[in-house]
Amino acid sequence: MEIINLLFSNNLILGLTKVAFLATDLMFVFFLIVVFRQVNLMRAIVNDTNDSLFLKSVIIVLIIGAVSLFLTALVIL
Amino acid sequence: MPDIFVATDKQTDTPIQPESKPLDLDKPLFLENTNAEDVKPQKSHLFSSFYKNPRGIFVKNQEKDEKILLFIRRAMVTNFKWIFVSIIFLLLPPLAYLFVNFGGQIISFPIRYIIFFLLFYYLIIFSYIYVNFITWYFNISFVTNIRVIDIDFSGLIYKNVAVTKLSLIQDASFIQSGAVRTFFDYGDVYIQTAGTHSNFEFEAAPQPANAVHIINDLIGKKNGNH
Repeated sequence: MEIINLLFSNNLILGLTKVAFLATDLMFVFFLIVVFRQVNLMRAIVNDTNDSLFLKSVIIVLIIGAVSLFLTALVIL
Repeated sequence: MPDIFVATDKQTDTPIQPESKPLDLDKPLFLENTNAEDVKPQKSHLFSSFYKNPRGIFVKNQEKDEKILLFIRRAMVTNFKWIFVSIIFLLLPPLAYLFVNFGGQIISFPIRYIIFFLLFYYLIIFSYIYVNFITWYFNISFVTNIRVIDIDFSGLIYKNVAVTKLSLIQDASFIQSGAVRTFFDYGDVYIQTAGTHSNFEFEAAPQPANAVHIINDLIGKKNGNH
């Protein structure tokens, strides 16, 4: 227990955690962009005018959230 | 020997002819076997899974005189699994915080790291919800007055759009098996097409008997009319 605490208090471990977090977040942003693209393609096939605004805005919010998390983590962590 | 069965009514020589309605092209194309309140085009909402004469929905390459008569998604109850999983995962961090005593004994992370992990965790959960929702949302089957369109969309990277004309449809049937399907009234609708065309399958369609009835009514009608 003490050893683990000692390891995580180490800056090296925290730095590695930051890098891993940033890499995962970046991959996640790419994934969300793929989802966004796929939603747009599907909307070209079936366009429901009642719901299209909602669907698009949700994915945009998710992408903005992921990007802002990435940038904030880059600076703060 | 006494007569057992005696016909009481006089039989007519002329067979009964079904009533045929003249084609009224000025009349808008709507389903006839619907209730009065269903006949008017209705605005579909986000969670619609079965709609007659939906309004505000357009399909790619839709012709000018083509009207969507029936709009089917998988029954809403089929989403239960991922909704349940999502709720569990959404409640997991607060429950863990309340009932599990970490006490800083296991791993001591700085608080800013924990906040970032938590935000990222919730971002993943909301993305999971969104992806599952659009997978259900874009799995649509349409019956128009000209053709039947089946859009299969799964796993974000697979999509299959199958189209057949109403004139090529030979038969429509459905299978509804199991207690859950019977209780929530949904089942698989099968549309058999002529020749080498593949058959259509509307998986977990709500009100399958109604859907089959409508499709069978449309078979053999020119542009969905009498």
